[in-house]
Amino acid sequence: MSTRLLVNSFTYFIMKHTEKELIALKEEVSEMWRLVLSQLEKVKQAFLSNDVELAREVASREKRVDSFELKIDADCENYIALYNPVAIDLRLVLSLIKISITLERIADFADGIAKYIIDESANPESGDLKEDLQVETIFDAVIEMLSDSYVALESENTRLSGKILAKDETVDEIYRNAVKILAEAIRDKKIDAENGLKTMLVIRKIERIGDHCSNIVEEIVFYIDAKVLKHSRNNA
Amino acid sequence: MLETRNIDFYYGSFHALKNIAMEMEDHTVTAFIGPSGCGKSTFLRLFNRMNDLIPNTRLTGECLIDGEDIYHKSVDVTNLRKRVGMVFQKPNPFPKSIFENVAYGLRVAGISDSRFVAARVEESLKGAALWDEVKDKLKKSAFELSGGQQQRLCIARALAISPSVILMDEPASALDPISTSKIEDLIHILKKDYTIVIVTHNMQQAARVSDKTGFFMLGELVEYNDTKKIFLSPEKEETQNYITGRFG
Amino acid sequence: MNSNLLKQNIAFGIFRALSLMVAGVLLWILGFIIYQGIGVISWEFLTTAPSGGMTSGGILPAIVGTLYLIAGSSIVAFPLGILSAIYTSEYAGNGHIVKFIRIMTNNLAGIPSIVFGLFGMSLFVNTLGFGDSILAGSLTLGMLALPLVIRTTEEALKAIPDTFRTGSLALGASKLQTIHRIILPMAFPNIITGLILSIGRISGETAPILFTVAAYFLPQLPHSIYDQVMALPYHLYVIAVSGTDLEATRPMAYGTALVLIVIVLVINVSASALRKKLQKYHA
Repeated sequence: MSTRLLVNSFTYFIMKHTEKELIALKEEVSEMWRLVLSQLEKVKQAFLSNDVELAREVASREKRVDSFELKIDADCENYIALYNPVAIDLRLVLSLIKISITLERIADFADGIAKYIIDESANPESGDLKEDLQVETIFDAVIEMLSDSYVALESENTRLSGKILAKDETVDEIYRNAVKILAEAIRDKKIDAENGLKTMLVIRKIERIGDHCSNIVEEIVFYIDAKVLKHSRNNA
Repeated sequence: MLETRNIDFYYGSFHALKNIAMEMEDHTVTAFIGPSGCGKSTFLRLFNRMNDLIPNTRLTGECLIDGEDIYHKSVDVTNLRKRVGMVFQKPNPFPKSIFENVAYGLRVAGISDSRFVAARVEESLKGAALWDEVKDKLKKSAFELSGGQQQRLCIARALAISPSVILMDEPASALDPISTSKIEDLIHILKKDYTIVIVTHNMQQAARVSDKTGFFMLGELVEYNDTKKIFLSPEKEETQNYITGRFG
Repeated sequence: MNSNLLKQNIAFGIFRALSLMVAGVLLWILGFIIYQGIGVISWEFLTTAPSGGMTSGGILPAIVGTLYLIAGSSIVAFPLGILSAIYTSEYAGNGHIVKFIRIMTNNLAGIPSIVFGLFGMSLFVNTLGFGDSILAGSLTLGMLALPLVIRTTEEALKAIPDTFRTGSLALGASKLQTIHRIILPMAFPNIITGLILSIGRISGETAPILFTVAAYFLPQLPHSIYDQVMALPYHLYVIAVSGTDLEATRPMAYGTALVLIVIVLVINVSASALRKKLQKYHA
């Protein structure tokens, strides 16, 4: 099962037409995924080094993500209409639709963060505060979640799912701490209130990215193992 | 309820069904799918003993309808076939009038009360959703009907003898899509009163009409489960390969 | 023109010419008989007995005799033949006995008709003591027709697709009911065709009746099945080759032949009309 859709040049020849179509669809989503990952990497870089140019680049590439989502949506619709997939094929197409929507949301958050950077008002001035807030850690955590789930889909393997979902706990914890730290910083006038609140919103967006990554993992598990995790998992 | 226990069936030395155990609840539609020659039609025909007509066959195991072993010596096959109707792949109306086609089962059962027969014919044609189309031409030859109407006539013919079970062997495979969807609608309606078992090569049809699906391969019942489960997440890899078209 | 198409046209041209030739031969024979025979056909020819050493008068006793023999041998051959065909093709399956019956039936068809005549004389005329009679002649002709009736009936039954049998059985009908209510009515038109063929055969045979029933000259009509009769084919033979004055009887021979052909033709036409009527439910 795990290597069902792994392509090598030999098996590709003996594959059925419907299977090739499905692989093309999956490849499209992978491409979108890599784009969204690079958006996240760049926005993290821009935020940490306050790089407005880089942030502008992120914002300008948002449209590409959007058009990816539209195209995948249409292609999945076509696939369902023309090939009437069932069982694992149906689950794959359904999860690809949901994953592409989720990826688009994640890219939206990256874009939102980039806009704050461009506004030049969402930066805690002191590097100390950034460190206290563990901004880099929370960024790295969601990036790792997104790239791990990418690997999970590519290798059709759900072993990573536990690790990814556990990472979401870390993200949530950093977020909760950040609330306290920022509240304290604002009270102690280490940071002005507007700046502090905007920083809070950035971290809130990163935390939401983590939640979306969890959703993606659930979709992958649904596709591969046909278990619906969404409603069985305890909300942390 | 239909039930089989340890069914093995042989055509000569060919082992056509291997140790099949299955239960089908009343008022459900069960679909049998599987590649050609997998034994699904043979298994279907066990329930009205149509396999008896083929020489050189052998059956072991038990085949029960409502707890009664239908292969027991005391069972009268013609009575059994009145309880278990069958619809075939190709519409096979008799070269008689529409009315006489439906009345046939009653006539051979020795029922001659013409008022009862007429009422039963009307009821059966209504049951098969054909009455409105043929009520003005009951005396016309059944061959004047379209293929889809002929197949519904065959269903009406089976309903006329008041069976409790209806077996359908690829009932729509020779029909156009509109006729097919009429047959499928009919199956949904008939489910209320009958236990239906249908063999089909059309996977989507199995998915649309049945509550439970059994997947046969090489004489074995590979997987038998709720239709939704089979078509969303089958448990066996063979099932998945077959229904997604990756078979072989 | 494409060379394949050319070849095809040539081939089909030859086929067409050959089949037209067959029809031509038939028309020639018919035309010849009609041309030669029509002159003697008259009301008197059809309704009086031969007279004047068979050089004058008519052929009434021979016509009546042939009709009796057709009827008699049909009564013998049709029920027996149809019932055995039903048994072998519907009931008996494919066992050794059926194979044996089938081989024997085919062999029966291959026996020359004069041998039937000899056998009929020995069994019916002498051993059973029927004498030269309609009974003995009908039995002999019936036996001759039997293989043909069986074979054509079997073919007619086999031509009915099994789906009708299974359809009927699946409705709780017994095998006998299925045959009686579905299979026979459906096969009937083709069975009739077989019967027509066998009537054609019966009416034209001379050898089997030679020793068993046919009278050389018998002006009065038969009173019972134990009487001898004249018959058209034998009468034809007599006045064509062994009469008292062959030159004088030649036109009468053609007239007799014409009557024989017309009788067979009338039976054929009425049977195919019946067949059409029975076929009304078949598309």
